[in-house]
Amino acid sequence: MIVTYNWLKEFVDFDATPQDLCHRLTMAGLEVDALKEIGGDLDTVIVARLDEVVPHPDADRLTLCQVNTGSEVVSVVCGATNHNAGDLVALAQPGSVLPGDFKIKKSKIRGQVSCGMLCSEKELGLAEESPGIMILPDGLPLGEPLFKAMGWHDYQIEIGLTPNRPDCLSLVGVAREVAALYGQPLKLPQPDLKEVSDTVASQAAVTIEDAEGCPRYAARMIRKVKVGPSPDWMVRRLEAVGMRSINNIVDVTNYVMMELGHPLHAFDFRYLEDQRIVVKTARDQENFTTLDNQQHRMSPEDLMICDGQRPVALAGIMGGLNSEVQDDTETILLEAAYFNPTTVRRSSKRHGLHTESSHRFERGADIDMIPFALNRAAALMAALGGGEVLSGTIDVYPRQLPQRTISLHADRVHQLLGVRVEATTISGLLQAIGLEVQTGADALCLQVSVPSFRPDLEREVDLIEEVARLYGYDRIPVTMPVGVVDARLPAPRQRLQKKLRQLLVTSGFSEAINYSFIAADSLSRIGVAEGDERLAQVPILNPLSEEQAVMRTSLVPSLLETVVRNLSYRSDDLRLFELRPVFLAQPDGSCQERLTLTAVLSGRREPEGWAQAAAAVDFYDLKGVLESLLAGCGIADSQFDGSRSQPYLHPGKSCALSLKDGQVAGYLGEVHPRVLATYDIDQPVYLLEVDVEILLTLADVTPAFVPLSRFPHVSRDSALLLDEGIPASEVLERLNRNRAKIVEDVTLFDLYTGTGVAAGKKSLGVRICYRDMNKTLTEDEVARVHDRMIQSLCKELAAEIR
Amino acid sequence: MKERLQQLQNDALTALRSSSSLKELQALRVQVLGKKGSLTEVMKGMRDLSAEDRPVIGQLVNQLKDQFEEVFKLRQQQLEEVEIAARLEREKIDVTLPGRTAFAGSLHPVTLVTDEIVEIFSRLGFSVEEGPEIEKDFYNFEALNIPRDHPARDMQDTFYINDDLVLRTHTSPVQIRTMVKQPPPVRVIAPGTVYRRDSDLTHSPMFHQIEGFLVDDKVTFGDLKGVLTHFLNEFFGEGLKVRFRPSFFPFTEPSAEVDIACVICGGKGCRVCGGSGWLEILGCGMIDPAVFVAVEYDAEKYSGFAFGMGLERIAMLKYGVNDLRLFFENDIRFLKQFSN
Repeated sequence: MIVTYNWLKEFVDFDATPQDLCHRLTMAGLEVDALKEIGGDLDTVIVARLDEVVPHPDADRLTLCQVNTGSEVVSVVCGATNHNAGDLVALAQPGSVLPGDFKIKKSKIRGQVSCGMLCSEKELGLAEESPGIMILPDGLPLGEPLFKAMGWHDYQIEIGLTPNRPDCLSLVGVAREVAALYGQPLKLPQPDLKEVSDTVASQAAVTIEDAEGCPRYAARMIRKVKVGPSPDWMVRRLEAVGMRSINNIVDVTNYVMMELGHPLHAFDFRYLEDQRIVVKTARDQENFTTLDNQQHRMSPEDLMICDGQRPVALAGIMGGLNSEVQDDTETILLEAAYFNPTTVRRSSKRHGLHTESSHRFERGADIDMIPFALNRAAALMAALGGGEVLSGTIDVYPRQLPQRTISLHADRVHQLLGVRVEATTISGLLQAIGLEVQTGADALCLQVSVPSFRPDLEREVDLIEEVARLYGYDRIPVTMPVGVVDARLPAPRQRLQKKLRQLLVTSGFSEAINYSFIAADSLSRIGVAEGDERLAQVPILNPLSEEQAVMRTSLVPSLLETVVRNLSYRSDDLRLFELRPVFLAQPDGSCQERLTLTAVLSGRREPEGWAQAAAAVDFYDLKGVLESLLAGCGIADSQFDGSRSQPYLHPGKSCALSLKDGQVAGYLGEVHPRVLATYDIDQPVYLLEVDVEILLTLADVTPAFVPLSRFPHVSRDSALLLDEGIPASEVLERLNRNRAKIVEDVTLFDLYTGTGVAAGKKSLGVRICYRDMNKTLTEDEVARVHDRMIQSLCKELAAEIR
Repeated sequence: MKERLQQLQNDALTALRSSSSLKELQALRVQVLGKKGSLTEVMKGMRDLSAEDRPVIGQLVNQLKDQFEEVFKLRQQQLEEVEIAARLEREKIDVTLPGRTAFAGSLHPVTLVTDEIVEIFSRLGFSVEEGPEIEKDFYNFEALNIPRDHPARDMQDTFYINDDLVLRTHTSPVQIRTMVKQPPPVRVIAPGTVYRRDSDLTHSPMFHQIEGFLVDDKVTFGDLKGVLTHFLNEFFGEGLKVRFRPSFFPFTEPSAEVDIACVICGGKGCRVCGGSGWLEILGCGMIDPAVFVAVEYDAEKYSGFAFGMGLERIAMLKYGVNDLRLFFENDIRFLKQFSN
C-alpha cells in the first residue's frame, strides 16, 4: 500500500517529518518499506521565464531562448514550437538527471551554447505523451524547484502491509493509525452531494440471490456525465499511489477506493438489460469476458453481478467488457457492495485475476462504509464529469454481519504481555483507533465494540495485540521465563549426523548442500534402469523449472554436477559430501524420507606441495574413508562385496557395503567411465553412498574399552604366494577365524605381482602381531603359534610360503 | 725418569690441547695410556727404581694421569661442542618452506550457524526436534491457523506435491508435531530445510530455518523478548541493539519482527540495511490460542512463544557473505573458507 505524506495530512493534522512518521508507523506494525521524495531527484528542474525567444541562427527548427532563472539569464536552445517570450517554463539545469537516466549537460547545439533544457511533461515523467514543452501558470517564483512551486512536492510512503490489516488499504485507514499515534482526531472527507429529484429506485432495481456471497449491495445513479480526462490533481494523486489514470469516471472509483478503502464499480447503465442488477452464482461453463478482454469459463462457485439477462461483472474482482464505461457513456450505475472474502478469493485464484478490488474484498472490506463511499464517489463524479446524482441509494442488505463485542480483562493483558497496563490506558489506546470501550461493574473488565473496518479483531487476544502495539513493544520489560526445564541430550539420529560430519571433515571432506529437487531424467543419465526403486520419484506439481521437477531419490546426480562445476573452476582436488534426505515415493502415495550420505573423492591424495607426492587418489583412499566412518560409528562386521554394485560405478572397482545380517547399507567405487563421459568429467572420481537409516540401527557411538597389556609385543611377517583370484578378505577372514589368543593384530603389509611371481599368482605380505595379557612372550611360543596359523592358512587356500 | 715423565706430560698435554678431532683425541689417549702407550713404556722402568724413589715416581705418574684425564675431558667437551655445532650447521633447513599438510575439511556454513544456535538454546533448556520436509497441509498450514482460503497463504509461495502434501514452507509444522505428542512444558528448537516457490538474487527455492518455541504456564511477551535478546547477544555479540516491532503471523498473537542494529555499518545506514540502520533478523510472537486448540493444549492454562529465522540470512550476516547463491553452488573455494 502506497500513501503520501500530504494526502495523509488531509485527514489528520499531525506535526512530524516524513522520517519520523515512517518510524512511528513501522514501530506500530505498519512497516514502511520505502520513503521516496516525489520530484526529489528533480530539484534542479526549476521555474524560469523566457525573456527572449529568437530563431536559431543556423537551424530552422530550433529556437534560441534567453532564460531568466531569477538569479541569471542563460541561453538555451529549444526544439519546441509552443513557447513565447514571457512564458514560464520548466528548466532542467545542467547536472539534472531526468527519468530514463537522461543526463542534462551544458552543450553547444549548432554553434550556440545551451545551458540546460526546457522540459516537456513527458521528459519529466509526468505524462506519457506531450505536444510541446510545459508552459507553467503565471505567478510562480523564478528559480524555485518545479515540484515545490507547483505544489507537487510530496513523499511517497510504501507500506508493506500484513494480510490482517485490510483497514489500512486506504489513506483514511492509515490516517486513523497516524491519528492514534500522534493523538490527533481523524477528519473524514465531507462529500458535497447535490441530488436531483428523480430517484435511483425509479430507474433501476437490485436483487441478491446469494446473500451468503453478497450480504450487501448498494447502488447510486449519476446521469448526464461527460467522460473525459481527469483533472491534474487527480491524475497526480493516483500516480503517486501507484495507479494510472483512465478517465474521470473510472478514476473516481479508484480514487475513492484508495481514499476510503472500499472498491467500487461503475457500469454504463445503458448496457444493463432490464435496468436491473441480480447478484447470483454463475452457470456452469458459462463464458464471461472481463474488461481486460480476457475470456473466462465460469463455474457455479463464481459469484456474478448480472443484469436482467447476463453477467456483467465478476463480483468483487473485475467488471465485464460488456458494460464498461466508454467515452460516450452518460449514465452510470455505481456499485458499492460487500462480498464474502472466501468467495472472492476462490474466484480470484481460479481465474488468476488478482486486482486491487479482489485484494481488498478477500481480506475483508468495510461493510458499513458502503453508503459513505457511494456518496463520496457520486459527488466526485458529478463534480468531475458534470453529471447529476439521482436521489437516494438502492441498498439491499439481506444479511447483517454480526456486531462484535469482546470482553477484555486488564489482568489478561498483564498475564500475556508481562507488563501491567492500567485499564484506563487500555481504553484510551483502543478508543484512539476507533474502538468503543465500556466498563461494567468490574473496572478491569472492558467491553470493546469492534467497528466493521477491523475484521481482524475477533478475540480477546487480538485486542491484547492492539494494546501491545499501541502501548509500544519497546516498553514491555525484558524478562526470562521461569519453570521446569526438561532439556534432553540430542537424539541418536542427531548425534550420528554430527559424528558423521565430524569424521568426514577430519578426512578432509567439505560439506555441500544441493537442492532437493532435480531433473526427472537425472537418474537415467547415470544409468539407473527401469525397476529400480529410485525411479519412484516424488514429482512437484508446480516446479520452478524442468531442472527442479522431482524430489531426489539419490544424491549422486547432484554431487556429480557439483564436481563438474568445481572442475570448471579448475578446482581439481575434490572431497565433498552431502548428508541429506532422499525422498522415495511409496505405493500408498506417501513419501519416505531417508537420510543418506554421499561423498565424492577426486584429484590428488595430498595437497600439492614441494614435499608431497603428486599421486592421485584411488579406490582404497575412498574405502579407507568409509572404514574410518564405520569405525567411528562403532560398527564392526562390515563386508565389501565386489559382486554387487551400482550401474554408475565401474564394475571392476566397486562393491557393496554389507553390514550385520547381510544388510546392504551402501556402495562405493570409481564412477563408471561412461557416466564420467556423460558429465564430461576427465579425471577419475570415486564415490560412496551410505543409507544412514541403516547405520542408525547399528551405530554405537559410545567407545568400548579393551584392557591394555603391559607386556611387549612381537610381530612376525610371512610372504604368501597364492592365486590372484583369492580376495584379500578371504585371507584375513581365515586368519581371524584361526586366531590364537595371543594375536593382537593382523595386517596386510604388502601386495606384489610381477617378476619373481608366477603369472596368475600374487604375493601377499602378512604381519601378525602377538602379545599376551599376563607375560612376556618367548620366541619359541610366538614361532609355534605363527607357524601354525600360516600353515593352516596355506592349506586352506593352497598357498605357499615364499 | 722424572725428566722423562715431565717431558711426556708436556708433550701429551700439548698434543691434547692441539688435537682437532674427537678421533685424534681418542688416538692420543691410546698413544699415552694404552697398553703400548708412552706412559706404559715409561712405567716399565719403575721396577728398576729404588724403594724410596718408587712412591715419588708413582705419585708423579698418578698426577700425570689425572692431569691427562682432566685435559682430555676438557678438550673432549670442546671438540664435541665444535662437532655438534658443525653438525647443526650442516643440518640446517629452510624453515620458510611450507609445511606438509593434509586436505582440510569443512562444514557447510548453514551447519555451522545451526550448531551454534542450537548450542545457545540448549543451554537455555531447549531440546532439538525434527520433522519431515514433505509435509501434510494440516501441519504446514491448517493447524497453524492458516486455513485454505485465507490470504495469509499468499505470504508463502508453496510447492505442492498434491492436494494434501506440500514441501514445507517453514519449520513451524515441527511445533505442531511436537505439541501433539508432548504435553507442556516444552522448550524446543527445530532446525530444518524449507522450500518456497521463489527464486531470484535474494530468494532461494530451498533454504534453511530454525524454529524455536516454549510453552508453559505464565509465559509472557516479556519472556519472549528476554530469550531472543539473550540469544542475539550471544550470537552476534554483547551490547547489540535489538528492537521488537509489531507484525503478523497467523500462528502467533501478538506477533513481532525483530531487528538488530546493522552488523555491517553499526546502525549508521548502509547498502545492506537499506539505509535504515536496522536488519530484520527473525519473526516471533506469542503462540496463537488457535494453535493450542489444534494441538489440544488448554489455551486458558498455558501460554507460549515461538520464533523462526532464516539460517542463510543469519550466516550471511555473521560471515559477511554477499551472495545467497553461494550457499547452494558448493564451490569448494567457498566451502573451504569455513574449515576453521
